[in-house]
Amino acid sequence: MAATDMAPNGGNPVRVWDPFVRIFHWGLAASFLVAYLTRHGGGTLHYWAGGAAAALILLRVIWGILGTRYARFSQFVRSPLTIIGYLRAIIVGNEARYVGHNPAGGAMIVALMLAMLATATTGYLQTTDQFFGDEGMQKLHDLLGNGLLLLVLGHLAGVAVASLRHRENLVGSMITGRKRPPAPGDVP
Amino acid sequence: MIRVLAIAGLAVLVASPSFAASSVCSSAPASKFQPKTKLESMLKGAGMSVKLIKTEKGCYEVYAVDKAGKKVNVAYNAETLKKVANPEAGEQ
Repeated sequence: MAATDMAPNGGNPVRVWDPFVRIFHWGLAASFLVAYLTRHGGGTLHYWAGGAAAALILLRVIWGILGTRYARFSQFVRSPLTIIGYLRAIIVGNEARYVGHNPAGGAMIVALMLAMLATATTGYLQTTDQFFGDEGMQKLHDLLGNGLLLLVLGHLAGVAVASLRHRENLVGSMITGRKRPPAPGDVP
Repeated sequence: MIRVLAIAGLAVLVASPSFAASSVCSSAPASKFQPKTKLESMLKGAGMSVKLIKTEKGCYEVYAVDKAGKKVNVAYNAETLKKVANPEAGEQ
């Protein structure tokens, strides 16, 4: 067990991200990376990377309803007011540590999933008789893909900020599934 | 791991010039290009139904459906109207 997973108060790490959440996360990250690297030309690899991303997201939606505690949308999708309030707290520097996804992270997950699904859909449509060689669809797909890239960069920045602020390795947690137990003031 | 990365890196280095060699889009100014309509009638003559022709640097990228109903994505040198191996040759 990595030292970063140990609580300063000696508590044992808690299981947060179940295996499906972790496989989904890294599977989607890999799909995005492959699709981005093969973005010119829309070859077979690009096609299947988009297909894998869409399939993963659809499974994740089901898991977001039926899954384990921290995998559920009801646990981490919060109102715009809560999200804005949390972003303000980050700027001021007094945002609470969440054991699950924090409100900003939850909003980013929804944005990433919607953008990825829209990108995959507009990509798939270009392989159909109706939209093959449709310049509008090509432009929309490019626009969504570039927007998705910006969201991914924002996601990485958010993970870095939260990891530094709360002195924990969130990337490691997405591999092991474990996090430091909640301290007083944390949101369990 | 390092060996795999090294081999992958070498493969990319070796492959890149060959991709470049197949990219024979025109480097002439657009005024020297053949008109798109000429390419379109050439393709129609070959039994293709043309969906879109995009100008990408010195290439015309074509989206068409051939006689057999197969979707075709090919590029042509805009100056000579010779087929280019890589349909994305003008995008790199």
